[in-house]
Amino acid sequence: MKKAAQLLLFRRHRTPGVKAWELKKALGDDYMEIIEILNSILLKLGMEVRRISEGSDNERFVVVLKDLLTDKASGLRIDDVAILSASLAYIIAKQGKASRKSVEDFLAEKFPRRRVIRALERYIVQGYLREDENLLYIGWRTRVEVDSKTLMDLILTS
Amino acid sequence: MKAPEDILRLINFCKTIQRADTDPFDLDVKRFLTILGEYVRRWKSIDDLMLDAEAISELTKVIELQCKWIKDRSASFYIDPALVEFKLKLMEPAQLASAFFKAWHPIVSLDRITPERLKQGLDYWNALLPLSERKSAFGAASTPETGTLKLDDLIALHILSQTEFQEQIQQVLNELEARGRTEYYDFVYGDSFEDSVRKAYLTSYIVSEGKAELDIEPLEEKIFIYPRSRGQSGGSGGEDEEYPGEKRSIPIAISYEDWERWSKRREQGQSGR
Repeated sequence: MKKAAQLLLFRRHRTPGVKAWELKKALGDDYMEIIEILNSILLKLGMEVRRISEGSDNERFVVVLKDLLTDKASGLRIDDVAILSASLAYIIAKQGKASRKSVEDFLAEKFPRRRVIRALERYIVQGYLREDENLLYIGWRTRVEVDSKTLMDLILTS
Repeated sequence: MKAPEDILRLINFCKTIQRADTDPFDLDVKRFLTILGEYVRRWKSIDDLMLDAEAISELTKVIELQCKWIKDRSASFYIDPALVEFKLKLMEPAQLASAFFKAWHPIVSLDRITPERLKQGLDYWNALLPLSERKSAFGAASTPETGTLKLDDLIALHILSQTEFQEQIQQVLNELEARGRTEYYDFVYGDSFEDSVRKAYLTSYIVSEGKAELDIEPLEEKIFIYPRSRGQSGGSGGEDEEYPGEKRSIPIAISYEDWERWSKRREQGQSGR
């Protein structure tokens, strides 16, 4: 159990999370049972294990904060969080994809374009957004970390 | 009874919606039924009733598409993009950030260097050769030298032969002698851009060799080229002996865009005749 917790909570690769085969190798064939027990412990601490599926043979496990009780959980500037929030809402409203130019133009109405471009690049690297042929999509990290329905509800009811 | 135009138009409209995958709500179902109702007492023949049945059948297909459209939009968490854009424009950065934080479940991930990893780093450092030795082991990266290929180099590389080159220059010179004083671009530009570049290159040789002269008119921004008479340029002593004055290099730009404009002007000139 300790080993499972350390594998999941400490970063081993550039991308957060542990691959299924790594858990199997470290914990044995019954690794899923161990993960489920660990999850029940983490739930009591306001965290939970989430599975990210990236194809049939490519599964990763991460631990996320289930309920964010602290005011601040990152060192990001408020402008940068606003850019991410607006980008995600914009892309979600466009059925999950929007041209990079349209996102940049939209954000540049409120933030300097250079700052917008820098922030978008960073969120692409971090996995919150995905870029493919000048189109921006929701990234794997957003699917794991962000409750899209809550975000859109909050924006629409603001 | 002759098939009414408006019924046929409605049937066609229904088929277009199904075929072109347009918004099924473009069809006003109530109006469709009202129009059909107006005709229902006038139907007499089997053909009339068949047309009525076809209209109803197409209408049901569109209603089915409307039903599917609603299901799809609700299942895919559809939100009007214009409304979201409007809301986002009204919100302050702090409000946007607050909404994000309330919907955010960040990944818990810690970076720590373990004693084992530190030891691996130290071992790596100890095994690593100094940069100067690694450079020599891999060989220094070579950067290609830039330079200019002269005619002699092209001949040495068998890209051109001296005879062939001289023949091409003579052809250009013959043409210039036949045409007389002419505008430079009208002389070098031809049917294709590649030929134009080749001709400009050859022309530069006949000018350099003193077999042709350039006449630049700066006010008109025009360059004329004309052949020197055999008596003026002839002789085997070469240009330096014949024309001992100051040498000048005259760069003349040739671009694809300019060639295209020239070609269009030429076509217009030809069609205007």
